[in-house]
Amino acid sequence: MGIIQKSQIKSPWLLHYDCSSCNGCDIEILASLTPLYDIERFGIINTGNPKHADILLVTGGVNQRNARVLRNLYDQMPEPKVVVAVGTCACSGGGFHNCYNILGGVDKAIPVDVYVPGCAARPEAIIDGVVMGLQKLKEKTSKKSEEAAG
Amino acid sequence: MRELVIILLVLLGAPLLGGFLTGADRVITARMQGRVGPPVLQPFYDFFKLLGKERFLINQRQVFWVIGYLVLVITSLVMLCMGRDLLIIVFVMAFAAICFVLGGFSTRSPYSHIGSHRELLQMLAYEPVLILLAIGVFMQNKSFLVKDIWTRPEPLLFSLPLVFIAVLIILTIKMRKSPFDLSTCHHAHQEIIQGITIEYSGPYLAIIELTHWYELVLVLGLVVLFWAQPIWMGLILAAIAFFIELVIDNICARMTWSWMLKVTWTAGILLCVLNLGANLF
Amino acid sequence: MDKATSLIAILMWLPVIAAVLCYIVHSYAFRNILVWLTGITLATVSVMLFATGPFDYQPSVIWNGMVEAADFVLMVLILYLGIKNRHKLIINLTLIQIAVLIYFDFFMGPHTAVNPIFVIDNLALVMSLIINIVGSLICIYGVRYIAEHEEHHPVNKTRQPRFMFWLVIFLGAMNGIVFSNDLMWLYFFWEMTTLCSYELIGHNLDKEAIDNACRALWMNMAGGVAFALALVLLALSMPGQPLALRTLLASPGGATGTILLAVALLVLAGFTKSAQMPFQNWLLGAMVAPTPVSALLHSSTMVKAGVYLIVRMAPAYQGTYISNLVAVAGAFTFMMTSILAVTQSNAKRVLAYSTIANLGLIIACAGINTPVAISAAIALIIFHAVSKGLLFLSTGVIEHNIGSRDIEDMGGLVDRMPVTTMIVAIGVLSMFLPPFGMLMGKWAAIEASTQLPLVALMFVAASAVTALFWIKWLGRLLEGEPGLAHKKPEHLAPHYWVSLGGLALGAVIMGVMVLPIMNKVVIPAVKASHQNAGLIVQGASIAAETSRTIIGSFTPWPLFAVLAVVILAFWLLFKPGKATVKPIYLCGENTGALNSVRYLSTADQEVQSSLSNYYFAGYLKESKLNEFGNVIAIIVLVILLLGVKVL
Repeated sequence: MGIIQKSQIKSPWLLHYDCSSCNGCDIEILASLTPLYDIERFGIINTGNPKHADILLVTGGVNQRNARVLRNLYDQMPEPKVVVAVGTCACSGGGFHNCYNILGGVDKAIPVDVYVPGCAARPEAIIDGVVMGLQKLKEKTSKKSEEAAG
Repeated sequence: MRELVIILLVLLGAPLLGGFLTGADRVITARMQGRVGPPVLQPFYDFFKLLGKERFLINQRQVFWVIGYLVLVITSLVMLCMGRDLLIIVFVMAFAAICFVLGGFSTRSPYSHIGSHRELLQMLAYEPVLILLAIGVFMQNKSFLVKDIWTRPEPLLFSLPLVFIAVLIILTIKMRKSPFDLSTCHHAHQEIIQGITIEYSGPYLAIIELTHWYELVLVLGLVVLFWAQPIWMGLILAAIAFFIELVIDNICARMTWSWMLKVTWTAGILLCVLNLGANLF
Repeated sequence: MDKATSLIAILMWLPVIAAVLCYIVHSYAFRNILVWLTGITLATVSVMLFATGPFDYQPSVIWNGMVEAADFVLMVLILYLGIKNRHKLIINLTLIQIAVLIYFDFFMGPHTAVNPIFVIDNLALVMSLIINIVGSLICIYGVRYIAEHEEHHPVNKTRQPRFMFWLVIFLGAMNGIVFSNDLMWLYFFWEMTTLCSYELIGHNLDKEAIDNACRALWMNMAGGVAFALALVLLALSMPGQPLALRTLLASPGGATGTILLAVALLVLAGFTKSAQMPFQNWLLGAMVAPTPVSALLHSSTMVKAGVYLIVRMAPAYQGTYISNLVAVAGAFTFMMTSILAVTQSNAKRVLAYSTIANLGLIIACAGINTPVAISAAIALIIFHAVSKGLLFLSTGVIEHNIGSRDIEDMGGLVDRMPVTTMIVAIGVLSMFLPPFGMLMGKWAAIEASTQLPLVALMFVAASAVTALFWIKWLGRLLEGEPGLAHKKPEHLAPHYWVSLGGLALGAVIMGVMVLPIMNKVVIPAVKASHQNAGLIVQGASIAAETSRTIIGSFTPWPLFAVLAVVILAFWLLFKPGKATVKPIYLCGENTGALNSVRYLSTADQEVQSSLSNYYFAGYLKESKLNEFGNVIAIIVLVILLLGVKVL
């Protein structure tokens, strides 16, 4: 595994976007940054800027407005990138999936790689989800390098 | 020949040292905050990850200015290691910072626009102290040349103690630590997100990271000048200064640019003036 | 007439002839060719003159009487202008001058004849190069600019002939100033430039122009009064000796007593001409004039006459308390006007404040009066003339293109006018960054200022602030839309290509060739009045030396090589094809178009994201700073003049 591929897994930078979440999952995400869970051990930094980010953590259900915003942010993230839907609302719309404004989960706007259910999703589950996302990242980049070579 | 060796050592060794110091910075900060923190080699992982990202750009000028930033910081570090005129080194550092600022301006992005202005204000804050440092060195050594500092038997720290404190104040600015991390908001992104580096991504951001490593070695090199004989004392002094900066970073919140200017221009310049004035009499 | 004399004759008379022809022949095509030819001739002749080296020249004696008479004609003309404009200060100051002149010419007995009248030494040769090369380029630019200006501001009867008349004849007057050894002649040419300045500032004929022209006139007249009084005092205190620069500078170690007071008055005249505090307002007001005027008179040449006189006089006040006060006054102006420039959003006012600041720096160097400082002063005069002229000319082109001088309107110019923007970038970067010549001068100035700690402190404060206002402006120009395609270069008239390109190329080449310039131009000029030059060329670097020890060194070529590496690295290594263009980050609310800087706000309304520079209006008020600066400056000048008898 080349140094670049190894580094991609060891240095994932997050972009955290709240679609229409009640903030429960967001608080849990921020809790993971605190000393108790300390996700900086994995080299994770919470950047606020899609151009710097590898992993997009999305919470909350998607409606018309934030579908557009999600696509815009996803567009501005350079490859390789991974999307993690955190919380039941992000996975499928959750308790609000029938509302007239909610289109559904995040996969209605952008392709999702990891679903982390829970209401609110626990920090341990979120960390698990991010680690799984890193695995998917690794698969994506190795697939790409195989395609480039072959 | 000897010059070539120095240049190569600087080109290849300084980023390794700078990256390692940045990693140590993050680990020590984490321990101070009661966390474990990333591995010490984390900055290198960040660097290589960025190299592998897709290339996004706003325009071509961004890249030009960032290359200028990198090359000029390396130049000023090389000049410092070759013992050149300290005043010229300060001005080349200013040129490097200006390249960074112009890169930030070139994108017409609101966040980088504010970040660039703040970076200019940061320059306004630390330039006087750096030039006064050069003048202070001259008044002690009768020479602006760095190589005359190396041959000086008595450390500069003994005759320029207040200037050293002023340099510590601006070291906080140069290392982009709270309370003065205004332009890029290195760790806390709530205010202007990434400020001046917001429109940079992938390999271009990697170049900026690399430049920051060189710059870290450069500013710590300025601290080493305060105790140049024997040099290992100077290195210890730089390590102490580095640690002090980390402590300051962790106990201070980020302040406003007007507060920064007030503190650096009154405290910084006053300390230098008192020191140089006392040395005159 | 031998070769050198004929060269002098051309430099003095060609501008007059060309100016008169411009005035009487009302044809753009004729003026065009005439100005091109005159410019090229003047530039070439000044280089030839430089090649022949220093010499003295004595024109025939009938000219003496004619100059005396011309003085009075000039004074009466200015008095008439004062009456026409109903301006009390102009009238009073001119009357005082006339009175002093009458006393000087008729009641003081015959004055010893000055021989030689023209002394063309190394400093004069340097100044003549600047005047004739930079000045000619600006005149070439001007003949086209004023034609376009009149298209935008139509008038009943064309004023282009009179504009070119005053612009070109001014070059002759400037040549006269730098060649004159006879103080009477210098005085005549000095007042001639004042008249040119008035006529050119008032060109637009609207109230603002006339008000500012009158202000320039009375402030320069005040300097003229000081000059005339100095002549009288010198005649009184040096009886039997010719009133010449050479006599004044002959006594080593500085002048004393009444002679020193006369020197102080001459320095004061220099202060008014160079718009130092508290006289800075006339230069700022002069910015209403068309751009060639601002470039020629008020940055590259006329204001240089003031600093030229002060630098020329430096041996006369060396070692006296005047020297220290001159240094403090210059440094103080440098600091205050640099701070003031930060508050300005009008590009020409920024350039005006920056000009005054750099003139203050040059004067401070003259005041420090060590060999290193004088070398720095002369180097700064040369490099500043080129870079500042360049910036003013570019601003003129920009103004004609976008219809505004405000920096806030210049955003994104890099896309619409890439060539002009690049030239402005060269101008701005060459003004204060290594490895260009201005920085070399500033470096030498700071190294020399360690003699006078207060001056060093003010230099430090001012240098820090300069980057702020330059880069704010340059950043605005370089803000561009997203896109990786190369922009099409804009169309520029040949006049603009030659003048802008010539000056930009000159700034870069002179920066690269700073070592030969030091050797051939600056060091000989300094050696005319000091034993050694302080700045010596050692191998590939310029070393500053004091008492035979090297205190600092500056090596320009490696730094230029570094800049070349940056440009090459970018050109060779960067492949735009590999990158994708993305829009700027607007929190995900970009409207969709790639180059759009609009975003969707509440209720999906499109809003333009607006940017503006910081002008610190809340912290730095121009009026308060001016007040404070004027008070301190007046106090310093009063001590300068009164202290002669006391100290």
